Amino acid sequence: MPARNSTAALPVAAGGGGLRLRWPLRRLFVKGTGDAQSESGLKRAHFREWRLPFWLLAPQLFILLLFFFIPSIRALIQAFQLTDPFGATIQWVGFQNFERLFRSSVYWSSAQVTLIFTIAQNVLTLSLALLLAFASNHILRGRGAYRTVLLLPYAIAPAIAGIMLAFLFNPRVGPVAHILQGLGFDWDPNRNSWHALVLIVMAASWKHICYNYIFLVAALMSVPQSILESAYLDGAGPIQRFLRISLPMITPTLFFLIVINFVYGLFETFAIVDATTRGGPAGATSILVYKVYLDGFVTLDLGSSAAQSVVLMVLALLLTFAQFRFVERRVNYSV
Amino acid sequence: MRPFYGALACAGAMLLTGLSPVQAATEIEFWHAMSGALGERVEELVKKFNDSQKEYVVKAIGKGTYDEVLNGTIAAYRAKRQPEIVQSNERSFLTMVNSGAIVSTTELMAEQGHPIDASKFIAPVVSYYAIDGKLQAMPFNSSTPILFYNRDHFKAAGFDKPGTTWQELEPQLDAIKAKGVSKCAMVLPGDYEWSFLENYSAVNDIPYATKRNGMDGLDTSFVFNKGKLVGQVERMKRLVSSGVMQLAGQGIIPIQLFTSGECSTIIASTASHAAVVAAAKFDWSAAELPYEQGVTPKNSVIGGAALWTLKGHTPEKYKAVAAFYDFLAKTDTQVWWHQATGYVPVTTAAYEAAKAQGYYQKNPTREIAVVQLMRGTPSDNSLGFRIGNSNQINVAIMEEVSGAFLGKKPVQQALDDAVARGNEALRRYEQLNAGKK
Repeated sequence: MPARNSTAALPVAAGGGGLRLRWPLRRLFVKGTGDAQSESGLKRAHFREWRLPFWLLAPQLFILLLFFFIPSIRALIQAFQLTDPFGATIQWVGFQNFERLFRSSVYWSSAQVTLIFTIAQNVLTLSLALLLAFASNHILRGRGAYRTVLLLPYAIAPAIAGIMLAFLFNPRVGPVAHILQGLGFDWDPNRNSWHALVLIVMAASWKHICYNYIFLVAALMSVPQSILESAYLDGAGPIQRFLRISLPMITPTLFFLIVINFVYGLFETFAIVDATTRGGPAGATSILVYKVYLDGFVTLDLGSSAAQSVVLMVLALLLTFAQFRFVERRVNYSV
Repeated sequence: MRPFYGALACAGAMLLTGLSPVQAATEIEFWHAMSGALGERVEELVKKFNDSQKEYVVKAIGKGTYDEVLNGTIAAYRAKRQPEIVQSNERSFLTMVNSGAIVSTTELMAEQGHPIDASKFIAPVVSYYAIDGKLQAMPFNSSTPILFYNRDHFKAAGFDKPGTTWQELEPQLDAIKAKGVSKCAMVLPGDYEWSFLENYSAVNDIPYATKRNGMDGLDTSFVFNKGKLVGQVERMKRLVSSGVMQLAGQGIIPIQLFTSGECSTIIASTASHAAVVAAAKFDWSAAELPYEQGVTPKNSVIGGAALWTLKGHTPEKYKAVAAFYDFLAKTDTQVWWHQATGYVPVTTAAYEAAKAQGYYQKNPTREIAVVQLMRGTPSDNSLGFRIGNSNQINVAIMEEVSGAFLGKKPVQQALDDAVARGNEALRRYEQLNAGKK
């Protein structure tokens, strides 16, 4: 953002309480403030009769019905059944599938792996994205080019990202693995569970850093230049300004990203795991969502798979609730 | 999308041929799991059949791996859009038989006037796919594991050929690594549960599960956590931890590490001949599976797949299916398929015919699998496996055994856990299929 503008806005920003954060993306695409319009914004709009809104909503509702409600209900039903894959024999077994699940040490170790994986992935993704956002915010020349390069991995399909990493780090043929081994590090994700876990954390983070990055860049841009400049005049260096001013001011975005990263790690990393390690070695990277797939589509244990997806569904509901309850409150969406 | 395009194609075809007086041939779909070179062979096979007559057209459609084909079939069957023929692997036998979705091959062939005699097929195939002498599926691509080896590596390490017993082979593998001939004396195959455990128990004549490995009923239980099999897994673990046996891991297929010359040996399906012939640029050969010293080796068991006929189609379609199976069982077809792919001939007549041609004199490694499958009289331990929920059990066993390789738990503990998890899945299968075979 040009510094000249913000110096002009200094009295307004300081006096008018204009410090509230805006929906970060908007700052990327919309220049200037739209505060005047927002008063007569979305909330005021209403329709006189039901038909138009119904038809406007219908496509979205139809998609939800088809891809969310019907499958969820079927999963819920199947979680209480023991069934032949072809559907020839179906027995109602009550909570047997859940009982079996919670008794199974394999499931608990999968839950444990998931916890480690999501936390590690979250920390790595967020800190790297923050570092990159901070750095690219301070680059003057070619900032756009850097940003484009940093956003590219987001456009790569997870399966391709996974295969690529699996190959690069393959202890027999992978170039990166050979470098590691050349440095005397006995890298082998096929025989070492931790190495495999590191591999999927890297793959998952690499794919998701871009998403974090774009939000953080936008958030950093919305930190009022005036405050940063007064800190500068007080003699604060760039790192101090970042830690003392920018970081506290973008905490709502950080919260939002933490929740999103959890959701991503828990529910959207199936393709990466499938392509990178297939849950191996010996189940060391079999995270919960991968196990749903493995038990449903590979081992045809439909009852258990359905029970697992119900558990995950409950988890997703809790996370969404947490997001609305604790995080949304702090993020101001008004435009 | 597919039905839509199908309809479009049909409409187009009708427009083009609508006026011609020739009656359209009956078309049937055949979903298979063969990819790469083997997929091309399937296309050729189907073309041979289609060209051989005018009444029927078989359409071969590759649907991915065996798991994906089975999944696709289940989804299609539930949506009542199933193909007529589907290729499914040997371990899905009980899943298919008890699905209520299939027509037994013996019955189909009898009804359609091409009676099929199970005894013309080789014994390990019949014992796997027939119940009371009735074939449930049409034997198609049958294989068995054999030992492929890099002769250059063996010579460099000072050996003529691999030893026939594990006691002879193990020091050879150690030597290959120790002498620096190769960093990888053996590569662990992805399906080692089949080649190193199930086949090991058949060849060395030890029980894997009670009730003749499940042949005598669903109330079978696993017993592979004692005796020689524990020793076999200990041996594998030692080979893996000393780096003599390497794991390929994700991103590459184990056989590629053999054909690239990096690993000196692999125990793999005889169908790997296709890949080895195509890619190996060194002096290679093959040998029978190693066995324990002092044992008279029994026959190994088959892998691969069979063709299953699905319910819910018109009599004309079944006529076409029967004609196709009849074509497959022909000696000429079998000999061609055997030579083109590396799979074993499934009929005795085809084996004799290939032998009479002098094929095995020119290609001695192609006979290894057949000889190994047919040696001796099958014992209760080498008839094959009839295990319910086999996919689940397979994954559980592999998970536990590789856990032992990683040092997560001792071998005995891992095998005990594998047996416990396997038995739990067996009991669940029994509960669901009470009263069935």
